[in-house]
Amino acid sequence: MTFPEIAWVQLTPVIIMLGAAAIGVLVEAFAPRTSRRPIQMFLTFAALIAAFVMVVINAGTFEVIMDGAMAVDGPALFLQGSILLIGMVAALLISERTIDPSGDAFAARASAMPGSLDERQFTARGYLQTEVWPLFMFSVGGMLVFVAANDLLVMFVALEIMSLPLYLLAGMARRRRLLSQEAALKYFVLGAFSSAFFLFGTALLYGYSGTVSFTGIQAHITAQPQMLGLLLAGIAFLVVGLLFKVSAVPFHAWAPDVYQGSPTPITAFMAAAVKVAAFGAMLRVMYVALGGAVWDWRPVFWVIAALTFFVGSIIALAQTDIKRMLAYSSIAHAGFLLLGVASVSREALAATMFYLVTYGLATVGAFGLISLVRNESGEATSLDAWRGIGKKSPAVAGAFSLFLLSFAGIPLTAGFVGKFSIFASAAAAGSVWLVFLAVLASAIAAFFYVRVIVVMYFSEPTEKTADVVMPSWATTGAIVVGVAVTIALGVFPQPVLDLAMSANIFVH
Amino acid sequence: MSILTLMGLIPLVGAIIVGFLPMKPSQAKTVALIFALGAMAVAIIVGFTYDPSSADPFQFVENTEWIPALGTSFSVGIDGIGLILIFLTTGLVPIVIIAGWRDVEDAEAVNKTKSGSVKGYFALMLALEALTIGIFISLDVFLFYVFFEVILIPVYFMIGRYGTGRRSYAAVKFMIYSFLGGMVMLAGLAGLWFLSIEAFDGPNLYLPDLLAMEIDPTWQTWLFWSFFIAFAIKAPMWPVHTWLPDASGSATPGTAVLLIAVLDKIGTFGMLRLCLPLFPDAAQQFAPIIVAFAVISIFYGALVAIGQTDMKRLFGYISISHFGFIVLGIFVFTTQAQSGATFYMLGHGLSVALLVLMAGYLMRRKGSTQIDDYGGVVTVAPVLAGLFLVAGLVNVALPGMLTFVSEFLVLVGTFERYPWVGAFATLAIVLAALYILLLYQRVMTGPKRESTAGIKDLNLRERWIMAPLVLAVIFLGFYPAPMLDIINPAVDNTMEWVGATDPPPTIADATEGGNQ
Amino acid sequence: MSTALMSLATSGDIPSDTVEPILTQITASDAGGIFEFMWLLLALPAFGAAVLFVAGRRSNAWGHLLGVLMAVIPAGLAIWLLVALMGRPEESRTITQHFWDWTFVGTFNAEFAIRLDPLSIVFVLLITIVGGLIHIYSVGYMAEDPGRRLFFAMLNLFLAAMLLLVLADNYLLLYLGWEGVGLASYLLVGFWQYKDVAAVAAKKAFVMNRIGDVGLSIAIMLMFVTFGSVTFGDVFAAAPEADSTTMTLIGLALLLAATGKSAQYPLQAWLLDAMEGPTPVSALIHAATMVTAGVYLIVRSNAIFDQAPVALNVVLAVGLVTMIAGAWIGCAQDELKKALAGSTMSQIGYMFVAAGLGPAGYVFAIFHLVMHGMFKADLFLGSGSVMHAMNEERNMRFYGALRGVMIVTWITFICGFLGISGLPPFDSAFSKDDIIAAATSQNWFAGAVTIFAAGLTATYMTRMMAMTFFGKARWHDDAHPHESPQTMLWPMIILSFGAIFGGLFAVGVIGDLNILEWLKPVTGYEEAALEVPHWSLEVITFVVVIIGIVLTWMQFGMRDVPQAAPQHVTVLTKAGREELYTNTWHEELLMRPGQHLTRWLVWFDNKGIDGAVRGIASGIMGIGTGLTRTQTGYSRRYALVMVGGFLLLVAVFFLAWWF
Repeated sequence: MTFPEIAWVQLTPVIIMLGAAAIGVLVEAFAPRTSRRPIQMFLTFAALIAAFVMVVINAGTFEVIMDGAMAVDGPALFLQGSILLIGMVAALLISERTIDPSGDAFAARASAMPGSLDERQFTARGYLQTEVWPLFMFSVGGMLVFVAANDLLVMFVALEIMSLPLYLLAGMARRRRLLSQEAALKYFVLGAFSSAFFLFGTALLYGYSGTVSFTGIQAHITAQPQMLGLLLAGIAFLVVGLLFKVSAVPFHAWAPDVYQGSPTPITAFMAAAVKVAAFGAMLRVMYVALGGAVWDWRPVFWVIAALTFFVGSIIALAQTDIKRMLAYSSIAHAGFLLLGVASVSREALAATMFYLVTYGLATVGAFGLISLVRNESGEATSLDAWRGIGKKSPAVAGAFSLFLLSFAGIPLTAGFVGKFSIFASAAAAGSVWLVFLAVLASAIAAFFYVRVIVVMYFSEPTEKTADVVMPSWATTGAIVVGVAVTIALGVFPQPVLDLAMSANIFVH
Repeated sequence: MSILTLMGLIPLVGAIIVGFLPMKPSQAKTVALIFALGAMAVAIIVGFTYDPSSADPFQFVENTEWIPALGTSFSVGIDGIGLILIFLTTGLVPIVIIAGWRDVEDAEAVNKTKSGSVKGYFALMLALEALTIGIFISLDVFLFYVFFEVILIPVYFMIGRYGTGRRSYAAVKFMIYSFLGGMVMLAGLAGLWFLSIEAFDGPNLYLPDLLAMEIDPTWQTWLFWSFFIAFAIKAPMWPVHTWLPDASGSATPGTAVLLIAVLDKIGTFGMLRLCLPLFPDAAQQFAPIIVAFAVISIFYGALVAIGQTDMKRLFGYISISHFGFIVLGIFVFTTQAQSGATFYMLGHGLSVALLVLMAGYLMRRKGSTQIDDYGGVVTVAPVLAGLFLVAGLVNVALPGMLTFVSEFLVLVGTFERYPWVGAFATLAIVLAALYILLLYQRVMTGPKRESTAGIKDLNLRERWIMAPLVLAVIFLGFYPAPMLDIINPAVDNTMEWVGATDPPPTIADATEGGNQ
Repeated sequence: MSTALMSLATSGDIPSDTVEPILTQITASDAGGIFEFMWLLLALPAFGAAVLFVAGRRSNAWGHLLGVLMAVIPAGLAIWLLVALMGRPEESRTITQHFWDWTFVGTFNAEFAIRLDPLSIVFVLLITIVGGLIHIYSVGYMAEDPGRRLFFAMLNLFLAAMLLLVLADNYLLLYLGWEGVGLASYLLVGFWQYKDVAAVAAKKAFVMNRIGDVGLSIAIMLMFVTFGSVTFGDVFAAAPEADSTTMTLIGLALLLAATGKSAQYPLQAWLLDAMEGPTPVSALIHAATMVTAGVYLIVRSNAIFDQAPVALNVVLAVGLVTMIAGAWIGCAQDELKKALAGSTMSQIGYMFVAAGLGPAGYVFAIFHLVMHGMFKADLFLGSGSVMHAMNEERNMRFYGALRGVMIVTWITFICGFLGISGLPPFDSAFSKDDIIAAATSQNWFAGAVTIFAAGLTATYMTRMMAMTFFGKARWHDDAHPHESPQTMLWPMIILSFGAIFGGLFAVGVIGDLNILEWLKPVTGYEEAALEVPHWSLEVITFVVVIIGIVLTWMQFGMRDVPQAAPQHVTVLTKAGREELYTNTWHEELLMRPGQHLTRWLVWFDNKGIDGAVRGIASGIMGIGTGLTRTQTGYSRRYALVMVGGFLLLVAVFFLAWWF
């Protein structure tokens, strides 16, 4: 057997991320507590930036590496870049430690029993859980592989590398720890469950085609389309795993609980980066490996997409907690993105990628804002607490409204451009009626975005109204990036659209 | 940069300056007024340099690359229909600013709570003006849509933050209604985009190009309705009208004027600018249905108006009736009716502005627009009453008023195509007399009353700001030629795009006979 | 005796002579001379109105003078124009003056142009002269009223609109004047807006007129789709080519307009209420000029009606009904002005009858219209003078024996009485007898009714005379009747001359203008052959009139009139007092149902349509809340849902596979 020769250059982003993560673990082990945080932060940002630089340098690469295990092509690089950008912004939120008087967003010691004596001691001593950083880096590394994986096993491994750290991070909230730990457990159990589906799907597809490489599967589908039953079953299992990650209905139930329970920076990271990675992976599987069977799986995606954006929008109407509301809104957006996946075309691919990056950055910004609205018990995420915020802090209210309008898809925001290009490509793919359902869903969705604006602007502040704390440059930076991207890509999306257009071919 | 772009930029810049530079309310008002006047000045220049006799349908055309990836460009240009509405918009905004000088304060007095900042109000007003101009000048469907949607935001805040009564309910209702329409239109836009890819191998939403594009009937049907529904909600037509009375009822007078007089015109303008030229076959095919709905709107609006107890809501219903006339005129496809409809847009704008501002004066004096709170006002404020009557008579479409010319043209044009519809719609003039004169009688006439004895007559500002409106309405009532000369060529173009012609008189050679 | 006059007037040689309308138009510039200044007829009063409306209180001092001036100058101009017109050959007496294109879209072009011809000049004279006199009268009548200059502004506005109505060269411009007078009438009836009754009456008048206007607009539309033009010249020239159905429709539509404006049955109800306005208004608008516009419209459109015999018969019927109804009401009303209003309806009924006779009657309609304009204005001014003397008391039951205290008023009223009652040789003796003759010649019934109405006329006039000027004084204690000021008396005196000698003038016994000959080129004329000798009808009419006078005198002149209106009266009197119950059935059949409809629609709009909208919204909201419950928080449940989802996937997969 021949040992595959390593494509070092193309792999550098991944190597840098995972390597830095490993170093981070060592730092935890040997560096004195006081110096850990600065080192970890430096490590993280350095790694993110370096990886991003390498992605940029790799731009234009179009080949299958590692003996067909991974693909480095337009979509892979575009999505890796997006993930790294989102990662940086999310890292800014993670590094924030001024808005919570007692430290950052994470428990002083995740191991300490909630409400126990030593928890209070650790908190009093001002300990910080710096393991957050390596975990975060591992997750990012996993994502980088996830969007580039070109065979099912690599993809599964990447999926786990991405997910496991997130399960942990989800449980580390400093406030409302029980809620946080419950969220973590749920996320883990259900995540494992879905991984099982994915793995089983892999097995079936192997049984069908005798290979796990996308190219092989594709070749097999085009070559001999019998044993369709096995293929379909395989696809069915496989997509469950992916649809779970993008929180598509009916595999969405975990999202609201986890979003609400997790520490807000992590929620932001999940809502943004995981979506990008998962959709990236899904696009590759569906376009490359299963592109030949598109006529078989497309109807499924239609149904799931419609379910997702309708259920997401409608349930969001009934929410009174902003984090949960954003969770459902992200579900609805997953529905719109599935529209892009379902209409297999280069325009659709480009549109979806554009949508992903703009949505991701806006989401991080939005959660950043949520972390600023607090009362004595931590973040105040109930709508009542946001009553009349517009009068208390026009800046926060203004920025948040901007994000909401972008989510709603009002023109001159990035959200609109994304929405339009997805709908347009879907219409071009011939599913006009689905577009029609989608616009109805968006109209419903608009209602709760608008309602938040009403709460913030049109009602007087009450004694329940929370305070808005002044963040450090970190969170501010994250928010500013979100705002800037939302406006800039809303008014002049051409450059990014061009980029996406130039990167909308998968390597086979 | 085209002069049209400039015209739109002036109020936009004004909005930014007023909105974001620190300044006292009084300063903000003055600055806003200056920018509004600036826009008006440019509009006047455009009006004078515009050449009605020119062959090309759109003038002052400018194309700037914007998002080629989506096949959209920043393309502006104007024809007679757009120009008329530009006149209306740029002419009304300064008047509204002056007349609504104390809108915010008045609203606060009524609400007994603080509204948003004064400068914010006037900044939003200017933003609204800029976006409206944008709609009237855009020659790119995508660009049109962008303005069409973005314009919701300033209005939403103007109603929700500065209005009175159930303002946030009204604001949300307005937003959701319009956004629903906008979304339906978005689906249509996506479809159009797709078709343009096939037609021009590559997306292209430049209107003049699209006019040359052949669209097969099924697509036409879908796209026509997706656009029309959006415009029908905006216009608004029965039965998707219920947002308007709420909005006009709880908006400040200034907002209500801009909302009803200017913003709603976008709906009817859109029908003329997009629905008819782009989807002529569908437009002709479904005209009968739409005509039916228009007639329902006419009578429904008028009858419900008679039963209203709140003046501002009443004006909302009057407008629904009038929009019925406009839509009717658009969809019977005769030159008379369509020119009439276009002229009607101007007329309705001015007339409703008069009425709503008068109601604003009353509200300022008594903090209420409930009809039953008034009576016998004429005994204490004769000028107020007199102007109110004039405003009312303009809405009655009394001959000698601009509104008469437009309404009659619509009716006669309708009569040419559907005699029975035309004859039936004529009955509405009786209802018009009823709802206006009943209102006047209940509010103004009768013996002196305790409740209204304190009402002061109009001061000079209030009095003279009405003068331009009244003069315009009467002057154009007797001499509409300046406007009709601008409108007619544009209408002829539309008729040509739709491929419709006027039915000839039953006795052809009549015009030769007689006179000589 | 009027036959004699007639014969030398119409040179009516047997068999009937026929005159076809002549329609050659000359533009004012070609005509030159005074015709270049026709526009001043409109411009001056319009200018006066504009100035007075805008100037406001500043013009209190001189407002009324300007108003009078702006009415009197056109009167002079009108006379001058008449003379100039008489100087022209008969066939070239139609002068048009074009100002600008008014409503001009595609092939539809209504110019802003006026047309002076023998018909319109007659109206111009009537309007400007009677109008001028009434302006002067008003100076005195409104002397104490704070809003006097406003009153004059409105009077001027009325003059401008009325002149436009009769001078317009096309139907749309006529419509402008038509509604203009309606507006003026609305403003003037409601001049005392602080009186609820006045405000309501004004509104009623305007709305009912609007109903008529629907007819006018429809007529105009029909003309446009039929002839492609709404200009008199084009329409009349093409009229003979049109099919009779269209022409009948146009005719009926025009009739609807006419009934509204001229207070003919069934749209007459507003006229009596309109008496709430100041008396000069009643005299000018609701007696002499505006209410007769309907007659003008029909006669002006003779070319159309000639093609629409059915429409003509309806006109005749409407005329007959209103003629009787008006007289009936006039006999029963106790308020002086309302009695006069009834009389006005009745007299206009006469004119409609004449017009309904077609070419045989058009000229007589206009003839009677002019006569009526003079004597009825005279009577109204007289009644105004009386009310002025009796502190605005309107009820005749509180008058009586006024001949002693206000001689001039009494005498002028007598003149009016003579003018209207039809005793030779006064106004009606000519006009009414002609109508009676023409009617009789076409059908006996119509003739009989007209004669009967003549009797009724004499009755209610005698009743008014008796109750007002004779018998015992039944005044209120605080009433100190006195003769009115000069400014009021002189117009009355001049008008009473008109009431006495108008007829003689009109048929050319005095002066050399014969109105009948004068009008024929426009209206056309064909004399209907009359079986019975003309004088026989005259005699019958005379007898009937005398009977009416005598009987009424015995009832009201010789007995005392109670101050309280007697309750035990005949059904006829009751009905007359109740204006034949028109208001009642209007309310029951139109107003009430209308109110219910609007109330129901308001409810439907809130609960029905908007309710549905809110329902959908809250429905979706409810679904959302329902679905939220599925979010139990138990991982096992979530896992279960996932499995369900997976099964769904598989299902769809295989469905899609099968199909």
